[in-house]
Amino acid sequence: MRRIKNIITQFEEISNNPKKQLDNFISEGKKVIGCYPYYVPEELVYATGMIPMGLWGKLGSPNKSKEYFASFYCSLVQMNLEMALNGELDKLSGVIHTTLCDTLRPASQNFRVAVENIPFIFMAHPQNRKKKYGINYTAEIYSKVLDQLQEIASYKVNDDDLRHAIKVYNENRKAKREFVKLAGGHPEAVSAVQRSSVLKSSYFMEKATHTKMLKELNVLLSELPVVEWEGIKVVTCGIIADNIELLKIFDENKITIAADDVAHESRSFRIDASLEEKPIIALARQFAEQGQDPILYDPLINSRAKHIVNLVKSSKAHGVVVIMMTFCDPEEMEFPSMIQVLNNEGIKYVKISYDHQIKDFGQARTSLQAFADLI
Amino acid sequence: MVDNIKVVENVKNSRPAKEWLREIVDKVYAEAWEAKEKGELIGWSSSKFPAEIAETLGLKICYPENQAAAISAKHGGQRMCEYAESMGYDNDICGYARISLAYAAGAKCDEKSMPQPDFLLCCNNICNCMTKWYENIARMHNIPLIMIDVPYNNTSEASEENIKYIRSQFDDAIEELEKISGRKFDERKFEEVCSNANRTAKAWLKACSYCKYVPSPLSGFDLFNHMAVVVTARCRRESSEAFEALTKEYEESVKNGTSTWRYDENYRIMFEGIPCWPELRSLFTPLKQYGINTTAVVYAPAFGFVYDNMNEMIKAYCKAPNSVCIETGVEWRESICRENKVDGVLVHYNRSCKPWSGYMPEMERRFRNDLGVGVVGFDGDQADPRNFSNAQYITRVQGLFEIMEVKRKIKDEKN
Amino acid sequence: MSDIFTMGIDIGSTASKCIILKNGQDIKAKSKINAGTGTSGPDRVINSVLNASNLNLNNISFIMATGYGRNTLQIAHAEMSELSCHAYGAHFQFHSARTVIDIGGQDAKVLRLDENGMLVNFVMNDKCAAGTGRFLDVMARVLEVNIEDLEDLSAKSKRDITISSTCTVFAESEVISQLASNADKCDIIRGIHHSVASRVGALARRIGLKEDIVMTGGVAQNKGVLSALEGELNYKIHTFELAQYTGAVGAALFAYKRVIKNS
Repeated sequence: MRRIKNIITQFEEISNNPKKQLDNFISEGKKVIGCYPYYVPEELVYATGMIPMGLWGKLGSPNKSKEYFASFYCSLVQMNLEMALNGELDKLSGVIHTTLCDTLRPASQNFRVAVENIPFIFMAHPQNRKKKYGINYTAEIYSKVLDQLQEIASYKVNDDDLRHAIKVYNENRKAKREFVKLAGGHPEAVSAVQRSSVLKSSYFMEKATHTKMLKELNVLLSELPVVEWEGIKVVTCGIIADNIELLKIFDENKITIAADDVAHESRSFRIDASLEEKPIIALARQFAEQGQDPILYDPLINSRAKHIVNLVKSSKAHGVVVIMMTFCDPEEMEFPSMIQVLNNEGIKYVKISYDHQIKDFGQARTSLQAFADLI
Repeated sequence: MVDNIKVVENVKNSRPAKEWLREIVDKVYAEAWEAKEKGELIGWSSSKFPAEIAETLGLKICYPENQAAAISAKHGGQRMCEYAESMGYDNDICGYARISLAYAAGAKCDEKSMPQPDFLLCCNNICNCMTKWYENIARMHNIPLIMIDVPYNNTSEASEENIKYIRSQFDDAIEELEKISGRKFDERKFEEVCSNANRTAKAWLKACSYCKYVPSPLSGFDLFNHMAVVVTARCRRESSEAFEALTKEYEESVKNGTSTWRYDENYRIMFEGIPCWPELRSLFTPLKQYGINTTAVVYAPAFGFVYDNMNEMIKAYCKAPNSVCIETGVEWRESICRENKVDGVLVHYNRSCKPWSGYMPEMERRFRNDLGVGVVGFDGDQADPRNFSNAQYITRVQGLFEIMEVKRKIKDEKN
Repeated sequence: MSDIFTMGIDIGSTASKCIILKNGQDIKAKSKINAGTGTSGPDRVINSVLNASNLNLNNISFIMATGYGRNTLQIAHAEMSELSCHAYGAHFQFHSARTVIDIGGQDAKVLRLDENGMLVNFVMNDKCAAGTGRFLDVMARVLEVNIEDLEDLSAKSKRDITISSTCTVFAESEVISQLASNADKCDIIRGIHHSVASRVGALARRIGLKEDIVMTGGVAQNKGVLSALEGELNYKIHTFELAQYTGAVGAALFAYKRVIKNS
């Protein structure tokens, strides 16, 4: 148990201090590339020898970024620009900016013109990603990004480099999936706050290092006896759920996160890339296989809600906690369909509004406490 | 030659072009109802889905955006939005989408009805919201959705890969629609349809260009109404004829020194954004009061799809205001401002449209810097009247007027 | 058998309410002080009920705190969310209640309860002040009237005026415009009531309504809002004398349940 605490503390230190991580990488002579949400294949960065770091905003209120955005844009994207304008991203050698939602689209232009000192790498994923031509197109845009990355790194990547990167990332994804299950089964050892920092820290670490630590943690967790736990189990869904004050409320009410459908967490490591085909195609195919995500076009139309129900049932959760990012239209537009299906299945849910600006979680505390009582 | 006769006939019959244009839109809805009653499959399409494809296959199509605009102009927007909200759709979501989802779910709507869809045509060149909107309808009605994805552009020209990718989607769309219509895609018909669409676009752009005259023979707000034809019926021969008639009217007006803007044209502005449909009168009133005519609108010429071949057609469909990079967006607007000699820009921060308002603050700065004109913004909404404050709008317009006065004074003093 | 006294205290953002319950059945004392979390309100309201009932803290078997400030009361034995307490408290005072609409100072909530008064579902307002007591405060100030007079004034209204803005600031501007155009204050107030009813109604519809519907919280005392809400939802909405104390009553009841469980 002590070793478990030890490892988790290390993860927490890292997750709470991305700046320190960045500084360390720079002092080691490494170059770091910032990656916007969603579905940026970090393998491309890794293959060049550079370190990818995730850019998912930070706690606080937009100020300088208000010169670029009206008020009704999500705080995640606004705070990313805010960090850049405050010079917090100056040490990055590049930023990969995506366009998968109506905020990210114009945000890409805002970032490009506002932040002149950081090389801008544009990545517009296709939505018709599953057809062969979609996969080819994805591979083509990934290649273009790779070209830019290679130039920044002054390193020409070959297929072996890419294959190695995919291997490293597949292992990391696997370890995280394992961890989610184990943490869900051992709330006595891993609190919601701790669970988040284990997953979040990977955005600030060299992936192989994260995997090594996580694998050790997973083994220790799997050796723990099953303990009676009087709290409830939930599935969380939303864009991001890393706010410590919010997660403390889960812990206070003994609410265990048995599984998640969170973009920052499980959505980002559900699908592996194949080692059997040309790497750039394998990565494109990995994106093609992504789904059940409000931000992605669903040719089957009904997948997402079914996915949530499956998650609830397979993780034996009692209900769903929807952490709704304020101003997030894709999540908002998928909400009615999801609750209709949850209602039909008799699965209870609660919706909490979230954005990076909130300091006082009084309302969320009331909601979660009542939700726990209800169940 | 035949077309000129028709146009001349129309002028002889002295039916104003605007009535003709309105009839064309009415026909679109009427024909869709007729087709539905006959048991034909009808589709709903996003405004910038390549209409040429469905037209070639003889499929009747309706446009939810146009319907939502009409409903909100007739003051049914709030009711429909509230219905959608009671279904669980957040009020943060685009007002057009809320209205349309309410309608698709069966909310009663006397303001503008259209038949429920049997298939959906979605193109996200105008926004990502389109995708979710149409997926929701497909879910509600259990009907096929045909998706043409147009990736966002970071450069002024769409890349070769983009065109290849989109072309493949066009081919897929054609295949699926052949199955739905039970007809074969006729290349010759397609050529004819494209020719019509081009002619309509050219005639539309020509009509819009009359705003460059000083004084303008038209109130820019007229274009917001006329554009319904280029959204819903651009592939019809009749549409180009009606726009050509409109152009002839403008030509006459220029000669006679008349205008549909019946007030003082003391100042000329560009109106940036979609108009606030439920509040057109409120938008108009202070502009009228200060003698400010709108002589440039972005929303309208955004539908000028002109192309010579399939590749160019695809490139044209890549150029929606919400899918172009900021440089193209700025260039587009600045050239209209220059051509149409505006003194100021009134920017609508449309609560319903995140992609449109997304790089607006930076654009404002560029307008001020590059054009030297006054630029003022106001909060509003294309369809939800609850997001508009008349008092704020009036203040902002007054502010713009005062800035334009100062600039004029400085300019006069220089001269 | 000696009597069991339990205390329920609802520490809200703007007011503190306290109830002493005897044997889980009779309300022995009640008190309300218009000072909430972070003030002397909670202490004062506790002293008030103890004085009124001639009891001291030692006579109280269990103190349950609820409301926004529930975690700040040192002497409380436990705390529960105001959602569960409002549900239970409403049920106590109105047995047939199955839906509770509570419009408080800073939030609005709609609760669904089962036949035992247990909370089975709920929804709370999101994002902003519209549809809450705060909205009415702002408007009352603009109109230069007292909150308590809103009900009577709106009853005198003869004309429909719509205050449509979703945003409180925009709505304030609408009200000012109406005043500037010499609209009757009574008509404006009725429009404001409709605005609140519209927002809260939308919230209620999201969760589904089941009769009997009951309104609690400070704003329940304003019959103008209540009748606007009835019109909005097309349902009869009941309220009762101690509506403002619903949370405290529920807390005292849960306290009693704990005592019984522990013995």
